[in-house]
Parts: sequence; C-alpha cells; structure tokens
Amino acid sequence: MTAPVSYNARVRQRFAEPQHAGDLEGRFDDTLTACASASDQGARVQLTVGLEDGLIGAATFRAWGCPHLIAAADLVCERLPGKSVQSLENVDLAHITEQLCIPVEKAGRILLIEDALAMLGAQDSNR
Amino acid sequence: MYLDFAATTPVDARVSEAMQDCLTAGGAFANPASIHKAGQRSRRAVDTARRQLAELLAVDPRCLIWTSGATESNNLAILGAAQFRAHRGKHLVTMPTEHKAVTECFRYLEKTGFEVSWLRPDANGVLDPARLQASLRDDTQLVSVMHVNNETGVIQDIAEIAAICRSRDILMHTDAAQSVGKLPLNLAALPVDLLSLTAHKFYGPQGIGALYLADRPGARILPIMHGGGQERRLRPGTLAVHQIVGLGVAAEIAAREMGDDARHVAAMRDRLWEGIGDLPGLLRNGEDAPTYPGILNVSAAGVEGESLMLGMEPVCVASGSACNSLSGESSYVLRALGRDDLQAQSAIRFSFGRTTTENDVERAIDRYRWAVSHLRALAPAARLAS
Repeated sequence: MTAPVSYNARVRQRFAEPQHAGDLEGRFDDTLTACASASDQGARVQLTVGLEDGLIGAATFRAWGCPHLIAAADLVCERLPGKSVQSLENVDLAHITEQLCIPVEKAGRILLIEDALAMLGAQDSNR
Repeated sequence: MYLDFAATTPVDARVSEAMQDCLTAGGAFANPASIHKAGQRSRRAVDTARRQLAELLAVDPRCLIWTSGATESNNLAILGAAQFRAHRGKHLVTMPTEHKAVTECFRYLEKTGFEVSWLRPDANGVLDPARLQASLRDDTQLVSVMHVNNETGVIQDIAEIAAICRSRDILMHTDAAQSVGKLPLNLAALPVDLLSLTAHKFYGPQGIGALYLADRPGARILPIMHGGGQERRLRPGTLAVHQIVGLGVAAEIAAREMGDDARHVAAMRDRLWEGIGDLPGLLRNGEDAPTYPGILNVSAAGVEGESLMLGMEPVCVASGSACNSLSGESSYVLRALGRDDLQAQSAIRFSFGRTTTENDVERAIDRYRWAVSHLRALAPAARLAS
C-alpha cells in the first residue's frame, strides 16, 4: 500500500522542496544549534539560528522523521527571522499544526520542534 | 505505478470475464446446494473450479475446502488441527516470522492452554531443519511454517520440514498464500497435511481462498464455524460461486503461465536492484536465502520509513509489510532476522507481477534514488551514522 497517512498540499510541497533545510555554512558569526530527539531510534530535529544584532537573521533545520515533521520544521524556520532567541522558550506551534493539518497522533513530533526551540532559548539565556 | 503485487494482484481480465458470467440471470448464479437445475449448474461450475485448483496443486479435488481467503484457511487449519488433536498433546511449533494470520492463531492457542515453541530463523530468514528436529516432543501435534515469506520472499524448505513431521506423525501446515500460482507446488510429492491459499495473490478475486487437507489417517481437523453441511461440514456457508469460479480460472491460468510469470518478475526484480544497488547503506533483506523472484525487500540506512513511502509516490510499494503499514510498527519479520528498528522501519518491499512493465521499474528506480538521497540530505548527522 502507499503511505497510510494523508498529507495536505503544504506538507507535500515542503517535504519535496524544503526551503530551509541544511546548515548556515558561515553566513553568520554568531549561531546557536539545538537538537531534540524522541528516543535513541526515534524522530530527531536539529535547528540552527544565525543571529544579527540580537535577533534571528536566518534559521535552518535538519530532520529525521515523518513528512509532517519535515514540513513543520521548514515552516518554523521560515517564521523565525526577526524574532529574539529569548522569545523561543515559549513558542506555541498550534498554528503550524493547524496549517499543516497534523493529525493528533503526531502531536509528539511537533513537540520535538518546540523542545528544540526552547533549547535554543535556554542556550542564549545561559551565555 | 503498482509494485505491490505481494499485497494483492489485479484480477486477470480472463478471470473477471468468467466471474461476470456467474452473477446474473442466465449464468451460474444459483445456490450450488440447491437440487434444481439452476443449482446444479452452479454445482458444476464449483466442481470445475475445484478441479482446476486441484490440478495446479496435484491433489485430489475432494481435499480442497473453500474459504474466504488465507486468513480463514490459516485459522481453520491451526485451530481446527490443534483442537482435534488436543487429547493427544498440546505442544505446537511455528516461527515468529509467519504472517499475523498464523502467529495470532498460535497466540490465541497459548491463551487456551497450548504450549507453542517459536523457532527463530537463521540470519538469512531460513529455518534450520535441525532446529525444528530439536524442538519436537512426544506431545507435539502441529508444525506450521510458511512457504514463501510475504515480506522478504524467503522460501522455506517445506519438503524437508514436512518429511520430518510426517516421520513423527505430526501434522504439518504451510501458509502458501505467496507461493500458490507463482511457484510449482506438487502436493502429490510433498508430505504436507494442510496448506492455505488465497486467490487474490495470483490474479484471482479477493475474498476467496482454500484449505488443502490431506486425505490420510490422522490428518483431521475440527470446524471453527458451525452451520450448514457445506465443505465436508468443515466450512459452513453458501458457496460464493462467482468467487470460486474466479479462483479456478486464475489457477488454470497460473498452471499454464507460471513459468513465464516467474521469468518476467525475476527480470523486473534484477533490473530494479541493478538500478538502486549502488546506493550506499542499502541492505537487501533475505539476500542470502532462496527467494521468490517477485519480491525485493530493501532497507536504507539514514532514512525514515514513512517519509520514504511519501517520497516513492506515485509508485505504490509496501513499507515493511502491508499489514504493518497500518500499525506504524517496524516489521517484526525483519527484526526477527536481526535487523534493528532503524533498519526494519526503513524497509521497502517492491513486489512485481504479470503486468509490471520496464517503465514501472525505471520509474521506481528514479523515485527510490531521489527519495533516499533527499532524505539523507535532510537528516542530522547522528541519524546518517545509524
């Protein structure tokens, strides 16, 4: 059978052609990276932000997981520029879940992104 | 782009045509248990189908019991045999790599007082006959080992397994859902007592199958359903004539075209592997064992299974096992072969059939290469290393 889960057009687009995948590769002098994982062999997401004048200039991701996780990570990275890192500690991704029609049984995957964002915020606070 | 023939096959047009003739007035639509003329016409159609299947398997037609498919056949064989012989002993033997239609029967029997030995295969998926020999006891009543594994295509040596069982008067059952109509099966020369099959794996319709029950002393089962006296009182219910006719025609075609089919699917499988086998980090599951040539099962390091399935679209393939695709669990069959969770969840089963074209295979190669490369490019380093 084909994939048992249905994906909306936004998920399919971001899965096939993510715009924010990869690394920042020297574009910023100041970067932070955080990685959250479900378990040793579970889904994993890594977020990297580049900082300019205390604000996020760009964000990228790497992910190992389902199409919803990849699409959500890409969408989150699109929305981070212009925000402060401290504000990431309390991000609510409900609107991302809604836009990508992420099924409730996959809520845990999205929490991974929230965890990674919170880790970025905590890293900045500890500097 | 359909490369999931191990899950189900399309109905052959010749089969469909024969079935249509049974559905409407003027055809063999009547109840074959009725003694009137219309009923007897249906009875003859059922008898013809029974003969067609019997010729494919080289058995006496009277040894065939119609069922709704391999799951029911497995239930009838395993539960029926275990219960018939329960007064003689309650030890049973099977493998964890069987289809769930078999393993769940044994798990049910375990809950009702039977003892089951679960024999693990070697790393290549094959059961060592010496391991089977060592597991048998004086109170062993039934051994069930599938012929062709539905996920890996690995072929078990059922001739040797059946011979071991027969020498100790133990019933031997095989789930042959993936081999009937695809590999030669001469039951006249095989001491198998019970064999399950289903039509939809060899271009017949879904919803119809059969159980072969050997005609020999000791090879007896109890019914698991109760009702009318159909099918030697072992499987009650009005016979589905159009389905049975479809199975019969599919069997007749398979008997004639099996060799061509096997050569065709082998060529398709070989081309697919040739097209993807150079990708780093691939594992061909069942590689070191004799396998049915219509199945190719491949795991890919650093790739997540659900994303790989989406990346494969529009090519229809199975993730691990068709049945497991709904559960989201990684394949228990591959884990039993020693694959870890990451390897098992990334497995894709390509399966080929009579209507597979070279274009289908080339498209599958393109999609697989793209999906694996794409997902590896997205993955964090920690996952690429695993």
